Amino acid sequence: MSSRKGQRDAARVVRQQIARERRRRRTIWASVAAVAVLVIAGLIGWGVWSGQRGGGYTAPPGATVAGTGIAHGSGPVVIDLYEDFLCPICKQFQQTSGPTVEQLVAEGKATVVFHPVAFLNRYSTTQYSTRSSAASGCAANGGKFREYAGALFDRQPPEGSAGLSDAELADIAAGVGLNRDTFASCLSDGTYKSWTKHVTEDASKAGVTGTPTVRVNGKEVADRSPEGIRAAVAAAGK
Amino acid sequence: MTVTASRIRATRWPAVRPWVGVATRLGLATVWLLAGASKAEDLAASGRAVNAYRLLPYEVATVVGAALPFVELALGALLLLGLATRLAAAVSAALLVVFVAGIASAWARGLSIDCGCFGSGGQLAAGQAPSYLPEILRDVAFLALAGFLLIWPRTPVSVDGWLAGPPVEDEDE
Repeated sequence: MSSRKGQRDAARVVRQQIARERRRRRTIWASVAAVAVLVIAGLIGWGVWSGQRGGGYTAPPGATVAGTGIAHGSGPVVIDLYEDFLCPICKQFQQTSGPTVEQLVAEGKATVVFHPVAFLNRYSTTQYSTRSSAASGCAANGGKFREYAGALFDRQPPEGSAGLSDAELADIAAGVGLNRDTFASCLSDGTYKSWTKHVTEDASKAGVTGTPTVRVNGKEVADRSPEGIRAAVAAAGK
Repeated sequence: MTVTASRIRATRWPAVRPWVGVATRLGLATVWLLAGASKAEDLAASGRAVNAYRLLPYEVATVVGAALPFVELALGALLLLGLATRLAAAVSAALLVVFVAGIASAWARGLSIDCGCFGSGGQLAAGQAPSYLPEILRDVAFLALAGFLLIWPRTPVSVDGWLAGPPVEDEDE
């Protein structure tokens, strides 16, 4: 083996080692940068969310003390209804079991608390869940929450559509005897949007993951038929 | 350490692999970008989706729900650029394992939720039954993409490749 070949080989080994070392360093820096990007991204999300949730809200008249729903009646047993105005099963529930709930309230057995949550915003193109919930707040402001909620279910738009326009929401309000102009300005000012957010967040916090959710004295009722509701209230009243 | 002038390989895999790698990398990047973008639109819903699993306290779930979409977008961007591919693949794999575990646990506990994978707020649409198995299988497929990149992170048209410079002889990767 000649010494020149030996030198060449040695030089190449050194060159390779330097190159490898440089690559290793670059890999480390790339990894550090990537981790930083991921961490910063997460913090940005947290920051954006903290900004969005902003604490304050105005609850409409007739809301519960916690501001998480509209209460009706004074019976000892509390029926909590978590519903989204876009949810077809909620409409069904209102049609089949709504009268029973009303009756229980009228008989003085129960207090009903209606929570107009906005869970289904992504199933309309115009955030109909939020808009309709805020609209129901405007109706509560005029003292016609229940009438208005009933009318919203009667005129429920299909999932995936644009939902009802603000003008249509105001027409429905006029239809149940509310002042159209007052209502329309309440709606366009977004007066109760923050309340909708509060109601929705509270429902989620309470472990409600779907609509309709019916709870009697805090316990979820699986059988939402008129008989089921009646039985649950009777059991809770004992 | 011997240096052979040229190494002739019999299979075509080495020639194909880099391009499969690019496709895999871009595919996984697309998954993350779509998943992140659909959740980032509505961070409150994202928080609700995490909360729907009932594995974390509400406050923690909302923070995870808010941070996750942006982390997913960042992962998508890293993979798109091909920067720190192996690390991004490792984080992807870890996240996907957590997702699969979460869905499996929701299934096992008999919860009736949507996985929220592509931003649905955890709420099932009307009359929709939970589809845990397809969701898990889909995540396992994504996991396979991440696994490929973990094993073969070096792909053409990547920042990693540019940083490493031209391949050195006697590559020992």
